[in-house]
Amino acid sequence: MEKILQVKDLELSFNTQGGEVKAIRGVNFDLYKGETLAIVGESGSGKSVTTKSIMRLLPESSAEFKSGEILFGGRDLTKLSDREMQKIRGKEISMIFQDPMTSLNPTMPIGRQLTEPLLKHQKISNSEAKKVAIDLLRLVGMPKPELRMKQYPHQFSGGQRQRIVIAISLACNPKVLIADEPTTALDVTIQAQILELMKDLQKKIDTSIIFITHDLGVVANVADRVAVMYGGKIVEIGTVDEIFYNPQHPYTWGLLSSMPSLDTEDAKLYAIPGTPPDLLDPPKGDAFALRSEYALKIDMEQNPPFFKVSDTHSAATWLLHPDAPQVEPPLTVIERMKKFPGSRYYEGGAV
Amino acid sequence: MAEKLLEIKNLKQYFNIGKTNEVRAVDDISFDIYKGETLGLVGESGCGKSTTGRSIIRLYDATDGDVFYEGENVHGKKSKQDLKKFNRKMQMIFQDPYASLNQRMKVMDIIAEGIDIHGLAKNQAERKKMVYDLLETVGLNKEHANRYPHEFSGGQRQRLGIARALAVDPDFIIADEPISALDVSIQAQVVNLLKELQVEKGLTFLFIAHDLSMVKYISDRIGVMYFGKLVELAPAEELYNNPLHPYTQSLLSAIPLPDPNYERNRVRKSYDPAVHDYNKADDVRMREISPGHFVQCSEREFESIKAASVSN
Repeated sequence: MEKILQVKDLELSFNTQGGEVKAIRGVNFDLYKGETLAIVGESGSGKSVTTKSIMRLLPESSAEFKSGEILFGGRDLTKLSDREMQKIRGKEISMIFQDPMTSLNPTMPIGRQLTEPLLKHQKISNSEAKKVAIDLLRLVGMPKPELRMKQYPHQFSGGQRQRIVIAISLACNPKVLIADEPTTALDVTIQAQILELMKDLQKKIDTSIIFITHDLGVVANVADRVAVMYGGKIVEIGTVDEIFYNPQHPYTWGLLSSMPSLDTEDAKLYAIPGTPPDLLDPPKGDAFALRSEYALKIDMEQNPPFFKVSDTHSAATWLLHPDAPQVEPPLTVIERMKKFPGSRYYEGGAV
Repeated sequence: MAEKLLEIKNLKQYFNIGKTNEVRAVDDISFDIYKGETLGLVGESGCGKSTTGRSIIRLYDATDGDVFYEGENVHGKKSKQDLKKFNRKMQMIFQDPYASLNQRMKVMDIIAEGIDIHGLAKNQAERKKMVYDLLETVGLNKEHANRYPHEFSGGQRQRLGIARALAVDPDFIIADEPISALDVSIQAQVVNLLKELQVEKGLTFLFIAHDLSMVKYISDRIGVMYFGKLVELAPAEELYNNPLHPYTQSLLSAIPLPDPNYERNRVRKSYDPAVHDYNKADDVRMREISPGHFVQCSEREFESIKAASVSN
């Protein structure tokens, strides 16, 4: 498969009054053509910072690339000038934000917001841009697009606004679309519509999507592959089936068992104890060790490397080291593993 | 059946009455809450679920209808003293733990405010001890009493909100989206705490939320609201296994579950209010289909649902 985007050993810090916040501490991943990669993790895990650094949307006064590179179309995005970056942003890589009210300009009719990227990045006339914009609105399922071009954001509902934001982000047929919690502010029924729309459009224009969310249900719905982030690092990455049915990192276990499924019995919910690490002074070893009942002695001292589980699946936990003791994952996780051929709890039957 | 703690009868909450922009946020809903149970209230934003909670606790003056607490009407004219008595029994936990705690007060005073108002502590030492105990109950410790809210994380703040609600030793707590603003891993901590407290203190909860999987987990019974009306009310298990109102069905079919296989095969239903095809003569109201399972329907729909459930 063709790699569209490669993030290599990315490290990024924010210089604040309190000191250096190491927001991203060595992130590696590839994005393939036409796939959806979901990045999950709690607030402060670095998922939004990672994608904002790809878009170079972080304030240069405080955010600093420490090392690593972001390769896109043979170029390292971390080294581009602002001018060069402007040609990529909104054209080849575009972004959908969480809150559709604040990411649209309230004082500008949506028609002008739609034609803006077209006029900026493509050599077309005003009237042509208008035509394309109307087609885009139709594409995202907006009724009466000709009339609605003249309306302002406040005249649309939340779901419609997010459709407009999606239309704008797709205006120049980007190679990469970054969606940062695009449905978190929406109701479940509207969320389902938007997710269906995004999947549908992805098939039509063959774009690659990086989807950031903390909702594992949404991940199961949209993702081809999943990266789990914790404390500024990716701790586990694999296909959606591997992460949901054969997770290896204790943090992934915690995430999966802290969500009640619709058939969870009255048993107590598993709660990950404690709070996320302070990245002003990140822990020496495995950042999750302090909250993990599966922590080994070595976790406190040395950061675990990535261990390969399969060609597509790897996890950064010492538990996968050949010398590590074998541990029992939480019950809910074992239930999941029973469905996965290749896991040690597999009970037969197809996934 | 257990004892009724709260009876809500034909509650109506309109805003901008008589103007062109009149909003019927809560439009004639009735239900009971039993002692010791958790009643979940779900629906999309704007369906009136929060307004219902706020009207019950008198944050709004209800337009019409009655709320009976242990048989006593809590709405309508009341003396200050009666109100005080009632306020002690009913407390609220809010959604946003950032906005609902006074930034300028120390934790000690935030939690003790209810204790002071109701004169529950005889002296300073007792007041202090009560606050320390409450902090411990919600999983914090007494060192936290001298801090300000901004020194706490979101999950800890929500614990403070819970401690404050518990300070006056209430019987009934309205929790309005208490976990929506929290991270997944922290949500489970707070939900577990609420469940423990319920068993320990015999509390009754009205749990308002839009996260349906969490609501099912915590609730004994669930009510589904749509445009200011209660459209279905049933025991949690029954509602999920056998949703009868088309809106409930559509809502349930829209929840994404953390299970890729299920997601690949999910069929989403959409809800169009026109399917009911009600005419003016139809008497549309809540009807009991099976014991404890109520659905808003017309006489005609009632018959067809009945017929369908018999044939199953």
